[in-house]
Amino acid sequence: MKIFSESHKTVFVVDHCPYMAESCRQHVEFDMLVKNRTQGIIPLAPISKSLWTCSVESSMEYCRIMYDIFPFRKLVNFIVSDSGAHVLNSWTQEDQNLQELMAALAAVGPPNPRADPECCSILHGLVAAVETLCKITEYQHEARTLLMENAERVGNRGRIICITNAKSDSHVRMLEDCVQETIHEHNKLAANSDHLMQIQKCELVLIHTYPVGEDSLVSDRSKKELSPVLTSEVHSVRAGRHLATKLNILVQQHFDLASTTITNIPMKPTFSVFDQEEQHANTSANYDVELLHHKDAHVDFLKSGDTHLGGSSREGSFKETITLKWCTPRTNNIELHYCTGAYRISPVDVNSRPSSCLTNFLLNDPRYKIDGSLEIPLERAKDQLEKHTRYWPMIISQTTIFNMQAVVPLASVIVKESLTEEDVLNCQKTIYNLVDMERKNDPLPISTVGTRGKGPKRDEQYRIMWNELETLVRAHINNSEKHQRVLECLMACRSKPPEEEERKKRGRKREDKEDKSEKAVKDYEQEKTWQDLERLKSILERGKEELAEAEIIKDSPDSPEPPNKKPLVEMDETPPVEKSKGPVSLLTLWSNRINTANSRKHQEFAGRLNSVNNRAELYQHLKEENGMETTENGKASRQ
Amino acid sequence: LCILIGNIGLIFIMPTVVVMDVSLSMTRPVSVEGSEEYQRKHLAAHGLTMLFEHMATNYKLEFTALVVFSSLWELMVPFTRDYNTLQEALSNMDDYDKTCLESALVGVCNIVQQEWGGAIPCQVVLVTDGCLGIGRGSLRHSLATHNQRSESNRFPLPFPFPSKLYIMCMANLEELQSTDSLDCLERLIDLNNGEGQIFTIDGPLCLKNVQSMFGKLIDLAYTPFHAVLKCGHLTADVQVFPRPEPFVVDEEIDPIPKVINTDLEIVGFIDIADISSPPVLSRHLVLPIALNKEGDEVGTGITDDNEDENSANQIAGKIPNFCVLLHGSLKVEGMVAIVQLGPEWHGMLYSQADSKKKSNLMMSLFEPGPEPLPWLGKMGQLGPISDAKENPYGEDDNKSPFPLQPKNKRSYAQNVTVWIKPSGLQTDVQKILRNARKLPEKTQTFYKELNRLRKAALAFGFLDLLKGVADMLERECTLLPDTAHPDAAFQLTHAAQQLKLASTGTSEYAGYDHNITPLQTDFSGSSTERM
Repeated sequence: MKIFSESHKTVFVVDHCPYMAESCRQHVEFDMLVKNRTQGIIPLAPISKSLWTCSVESSMEYCRIMYDIFPFRKLVNFIVSDSGAHVLNSWTQEDQNLQELMAALAAVGPPNPRADPECCSILHGLVAAVETLCKITEYQHEARTLLMENAERVGNRGRIICITNAKSDSHVRMLEDCVQETIHEHNKLAANSDHLMQIQKCELVLIHTYPVGEDSLVSDRSKKELSPVLTSEVHSVRAGRHLATKLNILVQQHFDLASTTITNIPMKPTFSVFDQEEQHANTSANYDVELLHHKDAHVDFLKSGDTHLGGSSREGSFKETITLKWCTPRTNNIELHYCTGAYRISPVDVNSRPSSCLTNFLLNDPRYKIDGSLEIPLERAKDQLEKHTRYWPMIISQTTIFNMQAVVPLASVIVKESLTEEDVLNCQKTIYNLVDMERKNDPLPISTVGTRGKGPKRDEQYRIMWNELETLVRAHINNSEKHQRVLECLMACRSKPPEEEERKKRGRKREDKEDKSEKAVKDYEQEKTWQDLERLKSILERGKEELAEAEIIKDSPDSPEPPNKKPLVEMDETPPVEKSKGPVSLLTLWSNRINTANSRKHQEFAGRLNSVNNRAELYQHLKEENGMETTENGKASRQ
Repeated sequence: LCILIGNIGLIFIMPTVVVMDVSLSMTRPVSVEGSEEYQRKHLAAHGLTMLFEHMATNYKLEFTALVVFSSLWELMVPFTRDYNTLQEALSNMDDYDKTCLESALVGVCNIVQQEWGGAIPCQVVLVTDGCLGIGRGSLRHSLATHNQRSESNRFPLPFPFPSKLYIMCMANLEELQSTDSLDCLERLIDLNNGEGQIFTIDGPLCLKNVQSMFGKLIDLAYTPFHAVLKCGHLTADVQVFPRPEPFVVDEEIDPIPKVINTDLEIVGFIDIADISSPPVLSRHLVLPIALNKEGDEVGTGITDDNEDENSANQIAGKIPNFCVLLHGSLKVEGMVAIVQLGPEWHGMLYSQADSKKKSNLMMSLFEPGPEPLPWLGKMGQLGPISDAKENPYGEDDNKSPFPLQPKNKRSYAQNVTVWIKPSGLQTDVQKILRNARKLPEKTQTFYKELNRLRKAALAFGFLDLLKGVADMLERECTLLPDTAHPDAAFQLTHAAQQLKLASTGTSEYAGYDHNITPLQTDFSGSSTERM
């Protein structure tokens, strides 16, 4: 691909001399008889377009198709030529649209048939065309600036499409010579200028047009190299629709376009563009719409050998069209389709009703634009991701706090760059609420999945929860002073666990065990990984009979949500095993299922069998043997 | 509006066809200083063994087929992931007659098209000694008659599928250059649109030098692409498969192929509906890999039902991996992750089901540039929702800021006037006429259509049309029934007059931006419609 190929710059030079005001001698009936009220009325005489009108509307059609398919980087400069050259627009992107060109053409108006033909010439326009090709476009400028020392890589090529009425073949040769000479001169000028670029390659397309019914004084000639810089081709075309067809063929050649016809498009009277008063208003026939687009869109079809070639297209454009059958989209089906290319399109017959029905149907959805801020938004997005992932457990059983509805108000705001006073207050409330829960001895959603027994004791659960919450808050204390205040509140509230007094009473043996769980908290990460391995192992074991391997992936959606969203799992603040009232949560269902499955595979733990209310007193034998502490080997921390 | 082109299928596959020359010349002995005597085919088998071993470790999902050829060709091993079978076949090859490359290449076409169709990229590894056969069917003969082909006996190159042709010569450069063999082989690569490369043995023919030649092939075409997937502090080591091809943005101004980063940084998430089905350069599987402490790869994280799970796989599958979290989340949320591939180069990560039970984490590469998807605008301008003054998706998630409206509407969205076909002109005139007959109710539409026609006629210099329509409106005025509203006659006369003035082309009346406005009459006050 080359951005700066000949197609980057197209100059139209349209003859505006007196003879272009001549009729093309192709009549257009515009006063169509309308049934049932025209008796006795003679329709108005048909009118005909001038050579000028034919030339202008055909070149506008060329531009329309080009702009539709290449809204950027393909530029047109429009020049009309009579006693001088009138350059109607510039290479800037703002000037590249049909409205601008139409307005400029209206200002020029049709050629004046009474002007002195001696003063008028297409040569003025051709000279101006060469001049304008030397002018640098925004895109060329940008690329040169970007490439710096490699600026010479930016090419300057272009195409001149000249529509005129020539006198003879030698007249055509004179025009060609003039262009060649002008390029030579301007390239010399451009060599010494920063604002101009030398023309490396110029394609001259000379179109001789003449009234229908007359003999052509100019013969066609295919592309010929006149110099290393200039090639030229001559087309001798009758005016009227013949000229339009020619320019349609040329735009397809110049921009590598191909045609696709969408067939069998259902058109119901309900389609908004369908005017009730027009014919067929109550029939819902199927229509075909021919579209132009870059021919790469066809490469895959041609390769697959699956050519839906529908013969040559109706309007006699130069290439075969590929037919595709319309499929009404299922609107609520959102999925990614594999798409190797998206190609901009332009309808061949833009304001025919089938075309406009199709495009309106496709365009029919509300759009609006988003405001951009001063900073680069994408960098802000990365920044946000960084904050959100400072503490992010990967597996649901690794986390307590992200399973707790009660923590959400804090977790959702602590990741922010800055906090409001209200945010701080909410965080503090959250912490107080947790303290309250601890005092009431509310159960926590510590996962028991994969662990043997029923998990850590209640006070250990809270220790784990507080540690995790501290980790989360600490990850953000450098964001702002207010984040710091949240941590201070957290540290103040958790510093005196209410059961501490009680624990002291329990004596030394108990303390030893505490050391173990202290270690467990420290080795939190490793420990949880181990638990998880156990859990996954159990899933894998059962996999063959119950669960497909997809379950492993399915499992991950259960992972914690970003804190600013609602957690997927509602915990109800009830521990899975002791669950008795209220709606059953997904986690409870899951845990129960796993526990039941697991219980079938091993002998029930003696402690649980002998438990009262799911509580078994540990180390009963120690009571009897009084003081033997030999059995502890780390298992305790795993419970 | 765009037309979207795509296809469905196994896209992340890049099968290999090994095409082995088993003509007699491959049995030529190689002079080795040592005791054992080797033939060229032994060297070839040695090189291929090395390739197969490499693939068995790094490309275990890939399919490979083995074709042998002399004057005939035979598919020894159809496409398989079982490298043992391929290896066995290497040791069971017989020797045959002369080399006939063209028929073998035709065979490759058939095999690949039958198995994969025309869209799956395929690597063809041709192993030969550079003796190109004699007489009919020799490569020289094929190339000499290349220009005289009809569609029915088309030369098999370029392959009718995306391809790379690697020619592994069991000969060194000097030997090939002593005849025109090298030129002929180079022609083959040219005929394949330059897609491919010739490898020759550096120095004397021996096992070591064959190894180094196949090593170069592996480096070029079979090196797994390892990257680190990052999302803030979350990271995962991944293999991107098949390896992303370097991309040339513009052969002239930016001829250096762009290669994607090995750090793939997620920059945000977006709804599938918003990104719709964007055009992409290529699609790849993103596979988590486990790296041991020394940094060596110990295996991919996905398990294949057909194969024994090795212990590395088991370990990889059980360590919590960000890929799994990401994949599951994208799937559940119906979103894709936008990933930075390089400067001004992005792609997307998404979940794609390849069967009812299995889905994969995939990565697609967009075309490099600041705005690969026009309906999203500039990539750099996409930002977090929380930065917007109000949520662009609405409080109830019932709207979307995408697609963005293009600055200049395309022709089909802006009601352009085209009169190339008479029917276009006739429709526009009839619209005016229809509304003229319903004056004054349709005053507004009447003048809207009238002004549209006026503008176009002025731009095209089609002043006769303005005169003609003026005449027509005057005639309509005379045809008004007695029951007609008196305002109708006034408006028709006024409109006709204005058109006639415009048709003179004098700047005062023929201004493009000037609009004909309805005549203010005593009756117009009673009209419900106002401009």
